[in-house]
Amino acid sequence: MEVVAERKRTSVVGKNVRKVDGVVLVCGRPKFTLDVDLPGTLVGKILHSPHAHAEIVSIDTSKAEALPGVACILHHGNVERIPYTTAGQGWPEPSPYDSFLFDRKVRFVGDRVAAVAAESEEVAEEALRLIRVEYKVLPAVFSPEEALADGAPVIHDEEDATGIHDAQHNIAAAVDIPVGDIERGFSESDVVVEATCEIPYSQHTPIEPHCTVAYFDEEGRLVIRTSTQVPFHVRRIVARALGLPMERIRVIKPRIGGGFGTKQEIVLEDVAAALALRTGRPVVMVYTREEEFVCARTRHPMRVRVKLGAKKDGTLHAIEMEATSNTGAYGAHALTVLSNVGSKTLPLYNKAPHLHFHGKAVYTNLPVAGAYRGYGATQGYFALEVAMDELAERLGMDPIELRLKNHIRAGETSPIFEKIGEGREGKPMVVRSCALEECLKVGAERIGWYEKRSRRRREGRWAYGVGMACAMQGSGITGIDMGAATILMNEDGSFRLLVGATDLGTGSDTILAQIAAEVLGVPVERIVVYSSDTDLTPFDVGAYASSTTYVSGTAVLKAAEEVRRQILEVAAGMLEEPPEDLELSGEQVVSKKTGKSVSLSEVGHQATYVVDQHQIAATASFVPPESPPPFTAFFCEVAVDTETGVVRVQRFVAAADCGVPIHPKLAEGQLEGAIVQGIGHALTEELLFSDKGRCLNANLFDYKIPSSLDVPHIEVVLVKSEEPTGPFGAKSIAEVGINGPLPAISNAIYHAVGVRLKRAPFTPERVLAALHRDG
Amino acid sequence: MRLRGIKRFHYARDVEEALSLLSAYQGRAALLAGGVDLARAARGDLEGLIDITGMGLSYVREEGGGLRIGATTTLTGILENKAAQGYLGGFFCEVLRQVAAPPLRNMATLGGAVVSAHPWADIPTALVALGAEVRWSDEKGEHRASVEELWQGQFRKIFRNAVLTEIRLPAWEGAFAFEKLSRSACDIALLNCACGLGIEDGKIAWARVAVGATPRRGRRLTWLEDFLVGNQPGEGLWREVRDRVEAQVEVSSDRRASGAWRKAVVGPLVARTLKRAAEKMGDA
Amino acid sequence: MKIYFELNGEQQYVDIEPGESLLSLLRRLGMKSVKQGCNTGDCGACTVLVDGRAVRSCITFAAKVRGRRVTTLEGLGSPGDLHPLQEAFLEAGAVQCGFCTPGMILTAYELLSKNDNPTPEEVRAAISGNLCRCTGYRKIVDAILLAAKWKREGRWR
Repeated sequence: MEVVAERKRTSVVGKNVRKVDGVVLVCGRPKFTLDVDLPGTLVGKILHSPHAHAEIVSIDTSKAEALPGVACILHHGNVERIPYTTAGQGWPEPSPYDSFLFDRKVRFVGDRVAAVAAESEEVAEEALRLIRVEYKVLPAVFSPEEALADGAPVIHDEEDATGIHDAQHNIAAAVDIPVGDIERGFSESDVVVEATCEIPYSQHTPIEPHCTVAYFDEEGRLVIRTSTQVPFHVRRIVARALGLPMERIRVIKPRIGGGFGTKQEIVLEDVAAALALRTGRPVVMVYTREEEFVCARTRHPMRVRVKLGAKKDGTLHAIEMEATSNTGAYGAHALTVLSNVGSKTLPLYNKAPHLHFHGKAVYTNLPVAGAYRGYGATQGYFALEVAMDELAERLGMDPIELRLKNHIRAGETSPIFEKIGEGREGKPMVVRSCALEECLKVGAERIGWYEKRSRRRREGRWAYGVGMACAMQGSGITGIDMGAATILMNEDGSFRLLVGATDLGTGSDTILAQIAAEVLGVPVERIVVYSSDTDLTPFDVGAYASSTTYVSGTAVLKAAEEVRRQILEVAAGMLEEPPEDLELSGEQVVSKKTGKSVSLSEVGHQATYVVDQHQIAATASFVPPESPPPFTAFFCEVAVDTETGVVRVQRFVAAADCGVPIHPKLAEGQLEGAIVQGIGHALTEELLFSDKGRCLNANLFDYKIPSSLDVPHIEVVLVKSEEPTGPFGAKSIAEVGINGPLPAISNAIYHAVGVRLKRAPFTPERVLAALHRDG
Repeated sequence: MRLRGIKRFHYARDVEEALSLLSAYQGRAALLAGGVDLARAARGDLEGLIDITGMGLSYVREEGGGLRIGATTTLTGILENKAAQGYLGGFFCEVLRQVAAPPLRNMATLGGAVVSAHPWADIPTALVALGAEVRWSDEKGEHRASVEELWQGQFRKIFRNAVLTEIRLPAWEGAFAFEKLSRSACDIALLNCACGLGIEDGKIAWARVAVGATPRRGRRLTWLEDFLVGNQPGEGLWREVRDRVEAQVEVSSDRRASGAWRKAVVGPLVARTLKRAAEKMGDA
Repeated sequence: MKIYFELNGEQQYVDIEPGESLLSLLRRLGMKSVKQGCNTGDCGACTVLVDGRAVRSCITFAAKVRGRRVTTLEGLGSPGDLHPLQEAFLEAGAVQCGFCTPGMILTAYELLSKNDNPTPEEVRAAISGNLCRCTGYRKIVDAILLAAKWKREGRWR
């Protein structure tokens, strides 16, 4: 462990302060999107395609329009046709412009056909039933293999889509990144192993589904109150989709009920806004749970093949990684998720000089994949870490030893950082902090790795095993994504912190307040945080790519430092001492020389009312030149019922290096939550489809996310390092935790019963079949 | 949520009132107890709802070692009842604790479980193994039948015009056990099994075995029960059970599990349930 | 139709539709802590107490609470006057997005009303029908155990 003895003592950072929105949340105050009732609100509902692939020959809305209470019906025939992407990314988005508000064609069961605004939900639903649509059903494809086959139907044959890699062959995006000479690398290796792992359709299932309210303010500007991770991208994309000037739109993100990536997507805001504009009335829209599963976004189902070549001593010499990603009917995040399969995994083992990462993201007639916590890295690590386990076995090495031999260290780099960026080339980067070695040591101790690994325990039908995996992620997107913060001082010495950053339950409002409070020498309670309102807060790309603490946090740090400078200047005048001699802490400005002091309240009054009156305030922005990875070592213990194939995860240990945790409990919470989602991926979560592409389990009754009884004893350890480029030494923690459970559990099952599970989820059925086949 | 088309909500005071309301609506009304299934099924053809939870049918009574349970008793009501807790060493409560989660058990009634009789449900399998009897009333009078008879017949048709009033669980000199396989801890069964055994002089005197969610509703394996009687419980017997069940029990696929997997696990499941019942006998 | 019922200690006499859900009624009455997550009784976000018992308001007909006592999170405590359970959720870091929190707290309230010394396993079983996608449950279980401890120490209401 990197002992950071010299680290400055902090009074707010590193403390488990009370969450700034905690009280309103435990009281159930009306702070969520749908908790406002506006007079005259219409209910918006969407008509979904019953076919996986079809042309709309005609739409007859006359009967529906005649229904009393129907205010408006929109479809491709009465809206402007403007191509855009629903992916909430920086501009220009690296996702193809292959979506329209409404199109002449539908591309999956659940695709948009039309939308209704009516006086009530009942009327809206009745109106949907009365819309007559004539379809010309087209042949459909339900897997990348079918979609790539010769003569496959072309899903995006529209001429006005842009940014598609090869529409004729249904390829939304492709990557091919060679480093060194991969063939030479394998031929020079002593041992070569290969593993192909597959992840199915899975869904984020935030407990609050997508929802949005579009209305007009007193001046007739469109306000979109919405459950989003990306308010500023919503404003830009809705403006484009509806052909509106951006200044006519205000987007407000209130409290939101979880996102995990699915709310990095514009799936309702464009329709609600269009309905509001057409009717001139407020419109509320909310996805049913079924729509949330089918029409929101999913993780990209993916098959990843990893081939590793290593020297006898365990040093990796060549890594090939091939990913075949299913992006569904539209290409949201197709290229970037695909890129991250390699870019967030390969640098972890930077010893191999020969690399080849290549893959395709393929259109199919299934639901649309998008951003999901882990963002491709989850898919990549499943295959990479299962292959590493296999390699360790072939080499006769302990899996931890193999990782220790190969993982990146502080001061080291990987060519991948420069080769793969966010839809374009990346930036060269040296890793400045890495405590993975310590994480491995701590995690191994906690789980009792060496004694448990040395013998397989068997009790009756139950077989026990332990497995491990490692992972890293990033902290924001280098050179592209920007966060900004404004801090204003009130005359009583309290502050307003305005950030575009988007707290989706992660606690970022609290963390950003802590950073400001630390610099300004006040408790968090003296800082009022207002976030995510495109009229009132400065720009921020939003909550994705593990960016808020690092990117937005640095912006807050810079703004706070400038405000502190201004405070010291005012205080210097009051104390008649130079600012260099003054210190700000405990809500006081104190002279280091004379001990004289003024309170922040006095400074505030002075600046506001007394002399040289001005607003003490600063705005700062930050675009990360680097994206320091957090690292995590995962360990788990499983029990496998050899008669039925039932797998129970009994214990899970994760030791993570997220730099200095600004708020340890919130950081732990991110890790614990991510691990539990990963356990869901590993054991139960999978959307099933009929042979016509209809989802069969779009409900929480049959799509099982973990309940409190499914979660094992989870221990998370935050192993401190200090990231010199991060605010107070911090790096990210939001995503990395989801990358470990799939491979760690698969490797533990292998240890227990000697069969490798390479297709998630590891259902009793799949485990038993594997036991009968290979056991 | 609004159940479309509902025009009236009635609070029936007794069985006669419920029956006369049912008949007045001519099939366009439904009886409502916990409402768990009704609200989820979202039938579009209903005009009237008849709440039957205020008719005095929420009770658990012990009678000669068996239980009489009013049809509108919630699962929680049973779980919190002393007599139910004592019934067969807590066997029935053990089953109920594996059904849904507490807030749903606060709503769901035993009568609802009988009337809905979902094939994947745990309660029907347990009731079949126990040889439960149910009572209902219609315009012709009171009726009774074992749950097995009931579910083999046109029970959904019966309950369109009848009120289920009571479920009786008989007394048994022996022990029962229940096991289920599911996708997660809080889930319906992919396969479940309830078994009861009486052991005298080291030999099985009687046996009850029911398997459910095959994916069909729980039903008894009478051939296995016959085979078990007279045998000595032990690993050898359980192995034999396992092989026979695997060879003879009919299972098939649904979207939740394949027939092949059910085939592979039904033997071990029945064997382990029987074994646990036998162990309980040993403890008693 | 009209029904009387008690909501958070106050008598209500309200118009309802015969097919309306309790969830819809309560949100109409301004009880926005009652959240809709699935509308099928599977997620638990809409959990409220009826006569002290946790139920799913999305699949409970409003007409069923005639003459009953309904408690939503608004009735448990307020920002200036937190209930110990709310305090414990804050203390333990059991709240991330907060959407499952109202149902979770009320479900815990029923558990602790029957058992003020639950084991961690009993707590897990009690909240097993309340889905949380953010926290991984660990800190929620911690919070409920902490509240139970406070209750045993007499810090309760």
